[in-house]
Amino acid sequence: MINKSYKLVTLAAFALAAFMFSFSDRTGQAISPGAVSAVAQQNQPRHPEAKSDSGNLVVQLCDGKTSMEIDGVREGEVLTPEKAREVAAKMMAAVAAEQSRQTSKWTERDRLTWEREQKRVIEEGDKLFHDWKALGGTIGISCDMCHPNASNTHAETYPKFQTQIKKVVSIREMINWCIENPMEGKPLPLDDPRLIAVEAYMAAQRKGVPLDPGKH
Amino acid sequence: MWPLKWKKREQEYRRERADFFQAVGRLDRRSFMKIAGTAGALAAAQSILPPHSFQLVDVVEAQTAEKPLFRFAYISDTHLYERTLNERFVKATLRAVQDINALDPQPDFVLFGGDLAQLGQPAELELGKEILREVKAPIKMMVGEHDWFLDMGERWREHFGQPQYSFDHKGIHFITLMSVNEKDFWTERKMTPMERMLTVAGLDNSLQSRFEVGDEGRAWLRRDLAKVPRTTPVVIFSHSPLYKYYEPWNFWTADADQVQAMLFPFRSVTVIHGHTHQMLTHRIRNIHFHGMLSTAWPWPYAPEGLPKLTVQMDRADPFDEADGTGDGTIDVYRGGYVDKNHNLWSRNPLTVSRAYLESWGRTNVPPAPEFKSY
Amino acid sequence: MKTRFQKLKIFLIAVSLGSMILALAHDGSAVGQKFKPDLPPAIPADLWELLIPKDNPMTEAKVALGRDLYFDKRLSVDDTVSCATCHDPKTAFAQPTSVAEGVGGKKGARNSPTVLNAMFNVEQFWDGRAKSLEEQAKGPLINPIEMAMPSHEAVVAKVKKIPEYAKRFQAVFARPVNIDDLARAIAAFERTQLSGDSAFDRFNAGDRGALSEEAQRGFELFKGKGRCVTCHEFNASSPFFTDFKYHNIGIGMKASGNFEQLARQVQQMAQAGKLDADALDKLSLTEGFSELGRFLVTRQPKDVGAFKTPTLRDIELTAPYMHDGSMKTLRETIEFYNKGGEGNPNLDGGIRKLDLTEQEISDIEAYLKSLTSERVRRLTQGSSQFSVFSFQSSAVRKYSSVFQE
Repeated sequence: MINKSYKLVTLAAFALAAFMFSFSDRTGQAISPGAVSAVAQQNQPRHPEAKSDSGNLVVQLCDGKTSMEIDGVREGEVLTPEKAREVAAKMMAAVAAEQSRQTSKWTERDRLTWEREQKRVIEEGDKLFHDWKALGGTIGISCDMCHPNASNTHAETYPKFQTQIKKVVSIREMINWCIENPMEGKPLPLDDPRLIAVEAYMAAQRKGVPLDPGKH
Repeated sequence: MWPLKWKKREQEYRRERADFFQAVGRLDRRSFMKIAGTAGALAAAQSILPPHSFQLVDVVEAQTAEKPLFRFAYISDTHLYERTLNERFVKATLRAVQDINALDPQPDFVLFGGDLAQLGQPAELELGKEILREVKAPIKMMVGEHDWFLDMGERWREHFGQPQYSFDHKGIHFITLMSVNEKDFWTERKMTPMERMLTVAGLDNSLQSRFEVGDEGRAWLRRDLAKVPRTTPVVIFSHSPLYKYYEPWNFWTADADQVQAMLFPFRSVTVIHGHTHQMLTHRIRNIHFHGMLSTAWPWPYAPEGLPKLTVQMDRADPFDEADGTGDGTIDVYRGGYVDKNHNLWSRNPLTVSRAYLESWGRTNVPPAPEFKSY
Repeated sequence: MKTRFQKLKIFLIAVSLGSMILALAHDGSAVGQKFKPDLPPAIPADLWELLIPKDNPMTEAKVALGRDLYFDKRLSVDDTVSCATCHDPKTAFAQPTSVAEGVGGKKGARNSPTVLNAMFNVEQFWDGRAKSLEEQAKGPLINPIEMAMPSHEAVVAKVKKIPEYAKRFQAVFARPVNIDDLARAIAAFERTQLSGDSAFDRFNAGDRGALSEEAQRGFELFKGKGRCVTCHEFNASSPFFTDFKYHNIGIGMKASGNFEQLARQVQQMAQAGKLDADALDKLSLTEGFSELGRFLVTRQPKDVGAFKTPTLRDIELTAPYMHDGSMKTLRETIEFYNKGGEGNPNLDGGIRKLDLTEQEISDIEAYLKSLTSERVRRLTQGSSQFSVFSFQSSAVRKYSSVFQE
């Protein structure tokens, strides 16, 4: 518990610092929220932009959820530094309050990270699966030539006795076997990111198929 | 110490490989036999191994009822790369040529089932042509998508002529269709010819269009069939299976229904197709369909859509490069229907008989493998 | 000493007779004390049990009888050849000549495979033409270039004339001598000839010091780049270094003549119903036909020139190698695989160039030399041939000297 709340405080402090920094950046004067969102667009995931029906300025935090409508300031107008600081403090307090009520330490943002990283690695695996050179093959044979859509690879059946290797192996060992044998390349270290990516792609292609280790 | 030795060994290996490909380059009879690995044993003019002639003895013994009208053989889906890259597919093609040349009696002709090249490159097509020149029997060429989509068939036509033609042989009307046309998916995507080729060469991408005989092709077919009496047996060669098996992998001919409709009025129609690299059997009304084996590698069966009459081949063992691959012969009978002999190189040969198809799979059922794909 | 030994002998006879009588009361068909194996550590006990045929249970007396038959040259036409001639314990139950040599020095066409662990083979002989050890044992007796007896009846008649055997057959099988029981006894003895206590077995059981670094690297190559393990299968459930399958690696394909013609002849013989077990046995040892290998049995084209994967246990002691004994050294054999075997149209698809370096070849060689059973090695080094037996059977000790040369 202590650990958890410590992390939350850190997160909040970091977010506040980033927010303040973006205000004092560039002109040192008042900064339009548009500039903040431009920075956000470059480095951050995109969120649906919050808008007010009444046309007031809406300031949004980078968590994609916390936003605040500022009465008396129209959209497109700039906040004074004092006002901006006040808004920031209020919003960060709101975030802190919201976080203190949560039962999980994982946020929507965490989930997004997980999904995007998984997807990225699967896509990388997809590319490798179709590229004999990238996996170190030497005779023009890539994985997909025998296994379109990773068919006949059966990621859900590993670890299992693999008849070519004559023992129970993980799927990465079997991928390595294929690299060394049909593809006539050199096997990769078992923690090579390429092996992990290919494994991720194969598993994704079998998503939803019941786990059945040892099935032949 | 051992890096030096290692180096020496690697050099030796590379040199041997270079020699091999050089021998393929000077493909006269002598070097052909040498690279096929049989020089010593072939001092006597007869070949070591005629798999089909062994099989022939059994077939003839077993079927005293009716002798085939004639036999033709096939080699299909060799997928040759440039000679410096892949030795394995070259050897497999040579093996098929040797198999067919050893047939006694010789087949009336040999069908090449398409996908001679892997990426349609000039050197690939030339290598294939050189090897096929060794086939003793007359050869009938068919084009596959791997031969076509780099230059839209320009080289292939230079080497082998028009991809669509018909001929008559011993009372049977044969038609070779160009069934791997695709609607333009490349112009809009600004693809280079090689990008287009690589896209078509893969199965599991959704970028390409589906295969089709196309409007022009079907018009040609209609004109060709108009001259043929409906009682004359028709045998069609098509690279793409002329039915709809599995769309995501392009085991599929988009206008198959229209082509079939033109064939329904005939008394007997047989379609021999390539592309799928597996034992496939199908029947739609009067049309029997048989898939050809590849010499290069087997495709897995698609997750759905497999025709009910298909007798699956056993799951291939990737340790054995020849497993799941092979060539074959086709015995044509008076009525036009055929017995399809699959010469699987690492398994026992297997015949899918016309009786099996004529009975809708009730009689003459070929043995099924113990381990089906899933 | 002598008197003590004789006393012991008398005691042992009494004990074994007693146990025979006891057993008789229970089971008339298989007489004698049940054989309790003392298996080498690598051999799975359940598998050993499983592979004892129902109609040939192991008893100590039967094993002892089989042992004596195995070493008895009188089973051959001119009293010069026994099973042990070609499957000699002193050379790890194989023979150091390239091909087996039978009566009058007649040469067969194939190298003698070891009897060690032969009970685990799915089929016997290089081409698998015998389904069991029992079936196998009957072949060489009447093959004209091996033990050359005119017929199985003649073998039985000859054995019957030896009173000691007549008595022991009666005691073991409760019926007169016949060829099937003779084969059963020999097979029972062979099922005690096991190998599974090598340095590699100790290594595999956790003793990391049991293998040199070279041999350890060799083991990795054996499983990986060398592509050995796929055919020479090894794991705890099947620790025999063979897949029991048939592969054409090109041996003999170069030297031999016209396979097409030979194969056709075989096909015709089979169709004419002339290819019975005896004819097959003779054909398999006839030059030329012999090289057809597994084809002789299956008559399937894919089996032309294919031979059974042999075990690699005790390989250091069983030179020369390959089905025709054409390779003198392990190194030569590894080199052969390294260059991708001998090309021929029926070459197994698993055989290809390996690109192993000299060092890697040495490593694999070192690994193969770690597969030698300690007991078998002691045996070949001239210690008593009985130390190899995996049991301390009183009956065996009793009979051990009866038919010794």
